[in-house]
Amino acid sequence: MGMLMVAPAVIITAALVVYPLIKGFQTSLESADTAVGGQPRFVGLGNYGDVLRSSTARDAIVHTVIYVALAVTFELMLGLIVAVALHRAFRGRGIVLAILLVPWALPSVVSGVLWRRVFDPDSGLLNSMLQQLHLVSHPHVWMASRGWALVLIALVHVWGVLPLVSLILIAGLQSIPEEVYSASAVDGATPLRQFRHITLPLLRPSIAVALTIGTVWAIKIFDEIYVLNGTALNTRSILMEVYNTTFVNADFPHGTALALLLTAVTALLAAGYAVAFGRSTT
Amino acid sequence: MRGVFWTVAWVAVLVIAACGGGDSGASSGFAPGNQVSIAGQEINVVLPYKIPERFLDEFARQTGVKVSLNVTNWDSVHAKLVVANTAKTYVADVTEFDWSFTGQFAAAGWYEPLEKVIDPALIRDLSQADAAFNTGGHTYAACYSNDYRLSLYNTNMFMAAGLREFPKTFAELGLAVANLKASGVRYPLGIPMAATEGGVTPWYLLTLAMGGQLFDQHFKPLFADPGSAGYRALQFEVDAVHNGWVSPGSVTLDNAPAFDQFAAGSSAILLASSPGNLPTANDPKQSSIASHVQPALIPGIRGPGMTFGLPEGLAIPVTAKHKDAARAFIEWWMQPANLRLLYQEAGMLPCRSSLIASMATSGELPGGGVLSQELAHVVPLFPQGAPKWYGQFSSSAQGLLNAAVKGDLSVEAALTQLAAKARELAGS
Repeated sequence: MGMLMVAPAVIITAALVVYPLIKGFQTSLESADTAVGGQPRFVGLGNYGDVLRSSTARDAIVHTVIYVALAVTFELMLGLIVAVALHRAFRGRGIVLAILLVPWALPSVVSGVLWRRVFDPDSGLLNSMLQQLHLVSHPHVWMASRGWALVLIALVHVWGVLPLVSLILIAGLQSIPEEVYSASAVDGATPLRQFRHITLPLLRPSIAVALTIGTVWAIKIFDEIYVLNGTALNTRSILMEVYNTTFVNADFPHGTALALLLTAVTALLAAGYAVAFGRSTT
Repeated sequence: MRGVFWTVAWVAVLVIAACGGGDSGASSGFAPGNQVSIAGQEINVVLPYKIPERFLDEFARQTGVKVSLNVTNWDSVHAKLVVANTAKTYVADVTEFDWSFTGQFAAAGWYEPLEKVIDPALIRDLSQADAAFNTGGHTYAACYSNDYRLSLYNTNMFMAAGLREFPKTFAELGLAVANLKASGVRYPLGIPMAATEGGVTPWYLLTLAMGGQLFDQHFKPLFADPGSAGYRALQFEVDAVHNGWVSPGSVTLDNAPAFDQFAAGSSAILLASSPGNLPTANDPKQSSIASHVQPALIPGIRGPGMTFGLPEGLAIPVTAKHKDAARAFIEWWMQPANLRLLYQEAGMLPCRSSLIASMATSGELPGGGVLSQELAHVVPLFPQGAPKWYGQFSSSAQGLLNAAVKGDLSVEAALTQLAAKARELAGS
């Protein structure tokens, strides 16, 4: 009876997840000339080898690793600071929390467009400010240099995701019993030691959730890059390479192969986080 | 019970799989002659440009067919069409069909040949522009935008710099740019160089204007040799960035914002513009330099250089649901009065040869003399027809050329990689 009760959910999942995965895997094993009238041929795992040998895809993987590293680091560090600052009640806390949520509420394309005005080399706010402060003598093209472009795009992404990470950590902080802090204070623990030995360990489940969400979202980064720098090679992420291969080049087999590799890596990372944090909190 | 559960789940998956592979109507689907009632139907149209509402309303009033227009930016239209047609699913009844789609879309069999269903007189009148949509003895689209590239310049800035006429050669262009800079125009040239289709078009144009071609007749790339026009064209763009001829932001600029900057008076020359931008640039509601913009022939090596056509057409996918209404819509669009209206209100230069001649004679084409002269310099980018792998070539070109103008790759490295990609595509 129990199995029949869950059958609708399983069937829907099979239709919307399992079937597309199977169909996608089948596509990834076919030759790439179907979009120009060719008959599909079975090529085994050849498409997977092709995408891993492609220098464009390899660059996109490196860029994505950098985005993930920068985004997750900034999101957790800043999120923790914001959470610690906002989890205790104070006058105007509601307003501050509401303002904090604004970047998260904005679609990523919209925040990309806003930041494009800031980074615009010819009339952007950033160049104008730096020139007025005499820190630069001529306008800098932020998206032209790989280093600057990767950092700035990662920061725009952090700007959008930080509110969610902060909320998760605030919720985690509020679940820690006040008595634990009181007892440690009686024992002479300083605020720093309380943070190190009480807050951080008890916050691990929330950090695990924030880390997983932050990592998955950073791996999926697309809109901000597309709006700020198009499909330029110096900032192209792996998901953008999937889009370009599949929809611009109409090369579905290679695009699907890359997408499935990305799915596998994301799933492995999420599982790794779950195992690591699960073990350390038990 | 567990067995029943798994049986139900797998049957569901198999049923969905069986449904998913279906082909939703790839048959011809046109009624013979025009003997079918289309009143009461609703057609979907996918285009990258806005069309005046009253134009669509008038078609609905005359035929009883409602038009639902879906406007999507140019780069996304291609992606939409590829996805839907690959899946053999309905996307619209009439869609954009760019010159660059011809090779791929015709090879894949995604569109209806129009030569048998559209009025033969109309097909003949469109034949010059429609050549870009012909392959394998079929015509796949009816041209609605006779787009090609010419230059626009700001006469006020030219006068202030003591320049009386637009440069005819690249050597003269260099001198003109120096004069314009000396007169206070910080970045005289407008050239979009973003990693988009609009960002690679100037390179194609410069290659032709410098007397070259991208490929030989067997699709062997000609641009990797340092003496080739394609190599010099990219070097010109890189030098334009380094010498401050274009604004530093040009490396992330697409063609629409490049025109906006020109119309705002930020640059004096828009090197590769569409003729449809001319009425907009001289419209006080849309431009701050209105009435000071003139068209000019693309410069060349010893005189005006070659340019190329980028015609856009209306086409009917094989998966269209209302093909007769779609055919009626295309034929109605192509009526001279409607083409005139679209030129005046949407800047779409008509493709019908008879109409162009009539508008040039009657003075309805601003800068008509230059427009007609430039038409004489229009050559196809691919004289042998756009290859089916053009989309992949263009996608690689967007990234590599953009990397070169940004300084991430040398001109030689970018073009060597692009040539290797082209050889791989042509050989596959």
